[in-house]
Amino acid sequence: MWLWFSKLGSPRWFYELSGRWLPWLYGAMALLLLVGLTWALLFVPEDYQQGHTIRIMYIHVPVASISLACFPLMAIAGAITLVWKMKLADMVAKCVAPIGLWFTGLALATGAIWGEPIWGTWWAWDARLTSMLIQFFLFVGVIALRSAIESPDAAARACAVLAIVGAINVPIIKYSVEWWNTLHQPASRISMDAMSPNPPEIWVPLLIMISAVYLLFVISLLLRTRNEILVRERRSQWVTDLIARSQS
Amino acid sequence: MPTLQFSSVSEFVQMGTYSFHVWVVYLLFAVFLGYHLILPGLQRKQFIRLQKRRAARDAELAARAAGRHGQSDRSAQ
Repeated sequence: MWLWFSKLGSPRWFYELSGRWLPWLYGAMALLLLVGLTWALLFVPEDYQQGHTIRIMYIHVPVASISLACFPLMAIAGAITLVWKMKLADMVAKCVAPIGLWFTGLALATGAIWGEPIWGTWWAWDARLTSMLIQFFLFVGVIALRSAIESPDAAARACAVLAIVGAINVPIIKYSVEWWNTLHQPASRISMDAMSPNPPEIWVPLLIMISAVYLLFVISLLLRTRNEILVRERRSQWVTDLIARSQS
Repeated sequence: MPTLQFSSVSEFVQMGTYSFHVWVVYLLFAVFLGYHLILPGLQRKQFIRLQKRRAARDAELAARAAGRHGQSDRSAQ
């Protein structure tokens, strides 16, 4: 376990391993996206209240739910940075911030576009929407903080602390729809019964889209972390060799 | 078995009366996919180009310094 842990902390090892994983991840994501998008756009039945806007759900829900994974991941990476000073953990923490910002931004945008025809408003100061907006600004804060501090070590520590403190917002977002009874609906229970309000023909394609977007998140994080490894390790022999060998 | 929900392409494009809302969301998702999958590759290429240029310049400077060094060695003899 400890050997594995210390190995994982080695940027070179991570770079080589992730390079082997990426083609498989790309393939799985492409397949899931193809099935999920086709199903969501062409085969999901029209909702009796929402009509075809139900198809927005297949983008909004995966993106929004995965945006909630970003802050805890950043907080865990931050804690590892603070305790063990693992270089790789700080690289992951740095790379996940802009990804989280984009996921949160898209969740807010698609939610607004969905809200306009269904709720009659683009925006409301509802508990779920407001806590998501706070998450958006927290990501902006983490990114700004890192660029504002010149010393990389000090920036890593400051961002780690902010990520750990900011992670308190995640359970608030998650349970906002249960704690406060406002506009945004709570999560629907899934059911195997075809007559239920949420039958498999609705949630199976959603599950496929959630898996596809999860893979997109993993791929995006790997690609960015690999770039960050190259930048930070540019003076090491293995990176100079790799750059000398590369075509572009 | 899921059934196809549209009987014509124009019906599919119209999405009931919600063509704007549905298609803008899917368009945003396409931009989002592009951002996550294409941008890191471009940044990687740019970085590698920059590093190669830097390495070439360093090599040239080293060669020039070695050349000067060699000349000064000869003049000393």
